[in-house]
Amino acid sequence: MAALEAYASRNADEVHTDVLLKARQACYKSRDAFYDCLEKESNKKPTEIASVGLLYPAECKALRAQFVNHCRASWVKHFDRLYCKNKRVTRLLDDGGETRR
Amino acid sequence: MATAIVRSAKNFRNLHQRFYFHTLLTKCRPPIPSPTIADNIQHRALPLIQQAIPFGIGFQSFVADQRFSSTSTTTGTVQSGHSKPNSEGGDKSGDSNQSKSDTGKPIRGGPISWLSFLLLALTGAGIIWYYDKEKKQHIEEINSASQAVKQGPSVGKAAIGGPFKLINHDGKNVTEKDFLGKWTVIYFGFTHCPDICPDELQKLAAAVDKIKENSGIDIVPAFISVDPERDTVEQVREYVKEFHPKLIGLTGSPDEIRNIARAYRVYYMKTAEEDSDYLVDHSIVMYLMSPKMEFVKFFGKNNDVNSLADGIIKEIKQYKR
Repeated sequence: MAALEAYASRNADEVHTDVLLKARQACYKSRDAFYDCLEKESNKKPTEIASVGLLYPAECKALRAQFVNHCRASWVKHFDRLYCKNKRVTRLLDDGGETRR
Repeated sequence: MATAIVRSAKNFRNLHQRFYFHTLLTKCRPPIPSPTIADNIQHRALPLIQQAIPFGIGFQSFVADQRFSSTSTTTGTVQSGHSKPNSEGGDKSGDSNQSKSDTGKPIRGGPISWLSFLLLALTGAGIIWYYDKEKKQHIEEINSASQAVKQGPSVGKAAIGGPFKLINHDGKNVTEKDFLGKWTVIYFGFTHCPDICPDELQKLAAAVDKIKENSGIDIVPAFISVDPERDTVEQVREYVKEFHPKLIGLTGSPDEIRNIARAYRVYYMKTAEEDSDYLVDHSIVMYLMSPKMEFVKFFGKNNDVNSLADGIIKEIKQYKR
């Protein structure tokens, strides 16, 4: 019982609101905006570094800043990783394995 | 007397050989040779033949060999050999026979014969047929066994679930007994999950409503955190509030979480990148528990709202029966 109370009071004051609904929705929105920009400007040369090996052209810099602002850092990395994976899969499907990457 | 014995022994040996060869090679038609001729021939200096013929029959075997094989080193002897075929024909054929058996070619009396080949084929066919029969029997047994089981629900139950002691989002201690009497769907996740847990919980909430709509059955959805260090009671309360009013959030001490994760075979692993900002890798499964808190079925990430709702309704109906 005592242990339970101790546990309950440990982080009593901090509720991480940045994972709650509103914050999540803002994050998703900015994330989608950023990735749409990437898709649109896919013919431009990627010069900026995002994270986990993802590069993006300088046109999307502002959106990137907003994305990073609205989402937790671990989430940003997670979404970047997911994006790279999807990109690789679609590239494979489109090319039909013709290009060796 | 000794010499007499030796001579008689030699004679006996020769006779025995001649008889042997006579029965073997009838086509060569060997007339019975005299021992004296054999002795004479032995004295010819032909080392090849003397090696081949231990009993010292002579070069006629070598000659006979020439008739059947192409290589020949002493053709001269061949000619002379051919010059006296009749009297020494028997020896020749006999010798050729013996030399042939020495070179190991298959002849009657050797290990391989048509009869042995036939027996081998029969045995092989018998074995194959027997094995085939046994295999067919075995397959039939498996088929009938699997069909017999299909009558009812799965034989035996997976050993998933078990007692637990956790804290719900109101701060109250709960055990598995608090969930008896109603169907429960448990989902393991953590509040700091970027996209998957929110999607799954939304799906679960929608499915609960749909099930209530379609069949009037009350389902209790439960969310159990696999990140007890960050997911406090308040955190969990704020989190589950947004999904569904009936959604119960559970957390607890890391030990308790470990126990229940083990009982439900849930994988979870902290991807420790920095101190407070990390993600928890975990298996994405929803567990359907009966009113007795026994495991019934699990649903993976690939089910959408409709298939989840329908699946749950089906299981409930089947269970009641």
